[in-house]
Amino acid sequence: MEFSIYRFNPETDTLPKMQRFTLPDDQVEPGMMLLDALLLLKEQDDSLGFRRSCQHGVCGSDGMNINGMNGLACITPLADLEAPVTLRPFPGMPVIRDLIVDMGNFWEQYRRAEPWLVNDSPEPEVERKQSPEDRDQLDGLYECILCGCCSAACPSYWWNPDKFLGPAALLQAARFIQDSRDEATDHRLAELDDAWKLYRCHTIMNCTQVCPKGLNPSRAIGDIRRTMLKKSL
Amino acid sequence: MRLLSGQGAWLLQRITAVYAGLFVIVVLAYFLIAPPADHAAWVAVIAHPAVALGSALFVVLLLLHAWIGLRDIVLDYVKPMALRLTVLTLGAGALILLGLWALYLLIRTGLA
Repeated sequence: MEFSIYRFNPETDTLPKMQRFTLPDDQVEPGMMLLDALLLLKEQDDSLGFRRSCQHGVCGSDGMNINGMNGLACITPLADLEAPVTLRPFPGMPVIRDLIVDMGNFWEQYRRAEPWLVNDSPEPEVERKQSPEDRDQLDGLYECILCGCCSAACPSYWWNPDKFLGPAALLQAARFIQDSRDEATDHRLAELDDAWKLYRCHTIMNCTQVCPKGLNPSRAIGDIRRTMLKKSL
Repeated sequence: MRLLSGQGAWLLQRITAVYAGLFVIVVLAYFLIAPPADHAAWVAVIAHPAVALGSALFVVLLLLHAWIGLRDIVLDYVKPMALRLTVLTLGAGALILLGLWALYLLIRTGLA
């Protein structure tokens, strides 16, 4: 099976290039994931750089652009990919080396969403309880693994990565705005009410298309807008 | 809620789109079903206070809609601050001139 992989080493290269790799057919096994293939290719050329950790779609380390679409290598079946499999780093993010990108800005935007529970009421003796209905509001929001596939697929994030929070951070903002235990809803909504942080989203929906966990950041952003509208009317 | 930023702009763009869309449908339907016979009939229609007022509102809302869309495009694509400011100023100037011209035509027709 043929691969075409983006290579760039800042210490030796001035420009990136695409390198051809071949995985012998006898090494291709049924049920194999793209990450398994990458690990075998790394045995051919150990200078090939990519991030990976849990290998089960939970840590979100091995996000990359696979045949033009962002996804996680560890849960992308090799059999579903058309050869030559073209692998590039996340678009719009600075490349550190090969498929490894600098996600500093992504984390900075995540921080700006204030992804923590704010509740200054006296602590109860047991946990802060929610009704099952209130808890249901968090489904589809809490499962995000912060792999960055969505934000790196978002044209609005490419254009204004320093000002627009991006779909991943906005999904987290929605997660705390919808949380019945959180007491900072007004503050969160006021923070998002400017031309940049939330409203650069033009509902392009690349985020929803690429999310490897099947989440819907586009709908979460719509829910934030609706909540904001209800609060201001 | 800020009027021309964030949620205010987003909401205004949708409200203006609804009015402009309905207005265009009504105007198209009018032209298809009972088009004015000549220039004098056309002027008489425009001079009717309800039509003149509806048209003036259409012009103002359309220009607001255009301003929000233009500003969105500029914020997305035009990065250098000086260029951004120039494009926004020229755009706002052009939209205001268009608005004044359209309103002048409506008023002149109404007074004729």
